[in-house]
Amino acid sequence: MSTGRDILIIEDDRDVVNSLRIILESKDFTVRYAYNGKEGYAKIKEKTPDLIILDVMMSTDTEGFDLAYKLRDDPQYRNIPIILETGFTQKMAEDGPERFQHILGESWPVSYFMEKPVDPEKLLSTVQSIIKGVDTPC
Amino acid sequence: MKVGYDLVKEQLFFRQELKERVFWFIHLRWIGAGTAIAITWAAYLGGQSLPILPLNIALVFILFYNTIFLYIGKRLEAFRPREVRPFTVFAHTQISLDLLCLYTLIYFTGGVYSPLLIFVIFHIILAGILLPPLSCYLYGALVIAALGGLVVLQDTGILPLKPVLFQIHLLHYRYGSSGISIPYLTFAAAILISAFLITSVKVSLRTKARSLLDVSHELDLINTKLTALYEMVKEMGSHSDLKGLMDSATRYATRIMGVKGCSIKLLNEDKRTLRFASVYGLSRDYTSKESIDIEKSPINLRIIQGSPYSISHIDEKDYFQYPEDILKEGIASMLCFPLRAEEDSTGILCVYSDKTYRFDEEDTKFFSLMTDLTAMAIENLQSSLARSWFTKKAVHQIRSPLNAIRSMLKTVIGGYVGGLNEKQKELLIRTDRRAELLGNLISDILRFDHDIKAIKRIKFLGLNPSMILKQVVQLYQSEAIEKGIEFKTEIEEIGNTMIGNQELLDEIFSNLVSNAVKYTPRDGLVRINLSMKGENHILFEISDTGIGISQEDIPRLFTEFFRADNAKAIEENGTGLGLIIVKEVVDRLGGSIDVESKIGEGTRFTCILPLSPPLRLYPKG
Repeated sequence: MSTGRDILIIEDDRDVVNSLRIILESKDFTVRYAYNGKEGYAKIKEKTPDLIILDVMMSTDTEGFDLAYKLRDDPQYRNIPIILETGFTQKMAEDGPERFQHILGESWPVSYFMEKPVDPEKLLSTVQSIIKGVDTPC
Repeated sequence: MKVGYDLVKEQLFFRQELKERVFWFIHLRWIGAGTAIAITWAAYLGGQSLPILPLNIALVFILFYNTIFLYIGKRLEAFRPREVRPFTVFAHTQISLDLLCLYTLIYFTGGVYSPLLIFVIFHIILAGILLPPLSCYLYGALVIAALGGLVVLQDTGILPLKPVLFQIHLLHYRYGSSGISIPYLTFAAAILISAFLITSVKVSLRTKARSLLDVSHELDLINTKLTALYEMVKEMGSHSDLKGLMDSATRYATRIMGVKGCSIKLLNEDKRTLRFASVYGLSRDYTSKESIDIEKSPINLRIIQGSPYSISHIDEKDYFQYPEDILKEGIASMLCFPLRAEEDSTGILCVYSDKTYRFDEEDTKFFSLMTDLTAMAIENLQSSLARSWFTKKAVHQIRSPLNAIRSMLKTVIGGYVGGLNEKQKELLIRTDRRAELLGNLISDILRFDHDIKAIKRIKFLGLNPSMILKQVVQLYQSEAIEKGIEFKTEIEEIGNTMIGNQELLDEIFSNLVSNAVKYTPRDGLVRINLSMKGENHILFEISDTGIGISQEDIPRLFTEFFRADNAKAIEENGTGLGLIIVKEVVDRLGGSIDVESKIGEGTRFTCILPLSPPLRLYPKG
């Protein structure tokens, strides 16, 4: 009994993917997944998802960002909402903000963030509010 | 060959000597003339017959002009201290006047037979010390001629004969005979020999002084170079990125060696090509080559293999891969050394000059030292960067599975894979909290590593500590209100007077305020005071009515990873690193921190920080 909503998880940790999948499928979302940016991009091209949950650090420190920028610059995909999964606040504290200055200065490619490890209820409420927003014609 | 600066320095040195001597003679004159007046009066009063009046007139005249000399000397020194000519003229005037007075005295005490004649020699010696050799001989000739003139004048009766001092009954004068020529010639010989001796000694002394000056000049140069080298090493050590370090190195090397430019070429990973990693003073055209193939550049190959190379004249074109570029750049000679890390060369440091034959042996030695220091600095930074990189990588590797564990736990706890009983759920929640604590600990370790590094290369600015503290207090206000804790703050307006770093100061305030809030039970009180202490320090005090710290725990408070048992009971997720960071920051800022506490009553931290940190902390530039 699918909601018909297609969510793509791009994340290199299989256990995390699995957890997210279980949580999302419990609310009848259709979940696809990819373990790296390249594979993820292929899946997007295959079928445009309604929402992407994207990990930042995969094989490189910024693989997730790279993909997010690539999508933003492509008119066909720029409107897909993306939740960026990140230990971002943690990373800020560790590396000092200067590391992210070059990114902070530019416009963000994504509008939603989710702290790692993802809290199931928070994830669901965020996903649902985004999907609802997508539903609303604008 | 001496030019410009050296010559001026030498002149200054000798001019200084002339000036000192001129004043020395003025002092001697006071003693000489004063003593002479005393002796004449003593002899006169003792019943000796001597021409007291003319002698005293001459002697008083000496004292008189000596007073004027003193005045003129002081004026010259005050208004024209850098000119040598006035002092020379001054020396001539003194010697001439002295001789004139001395001859007056000689005339009145027996002319050619006067016992005072011997004093003329002293003046020749003085002229020899003060003035060039020629002047000394001229004075010699002048005094010999003057005595001759006196003899002639007395012989012809133009000047009356005077009796010889203390030998009033004997008139020795028999002019025209050979008798007179003996004392005269003896006198002339004594004068000329004195002039000869003194000028010879002086010439050799001057030569020695000159070589001494040369040595001191060389030492100055070496000292300047070494100081600059020290600055260079210090500057290189302050960088946390390789490019910055190498840019400092090339800039300093160019300046210290006094050359056109400098470059660092590093060996690429393929070990077969070199790239320009940092360049100073050379054109973009010259350094824009993608890479230099060392197989095609025999010189670079030899340097990389370990032998330094000095090229005095760029005409051996076969040595270079791009000889025409070197000529076009205006490089006439260069000095290149391998940057060695242990056994292997990792690159090449080169200095370039637009003059041929620019580098001598000294330059080569010095540059070799500079190259080794640069190589060490690069090596040092590289290994520190590698360590940081490794720490970061390791932390990420630890955190990934931890995040996966927690994701899965949360999925289970959330009941997404089937229901749990209360006991199971509670245990899993506790498991998740312990995993969270582990994550915090990892973050703190990395933050600690970062903070310690940050402290070392922090930039200092004018800060307003009152404002920073107020912001921190505001940040914790809501948490305090939630717990019913009252904040009592007394924050003196200190203004923008502190030289420091916002992040560091923030670190101190935040850690202490957050601890106070964390470890103070409901309805407690936290007092926060900030005030000036004396003119140069600020005093930050924070006290709470919290759980307190036991006496035996206090000394361990600022040591790594320590957490008191009662603190653990209240806040599970602490790592014990906060106070270590506070202590480290306070130390680095040159301040002090103290703690007083009583179990169950509360804790008071007293922190004193200087308005300007110790000088050693200022970053260069």
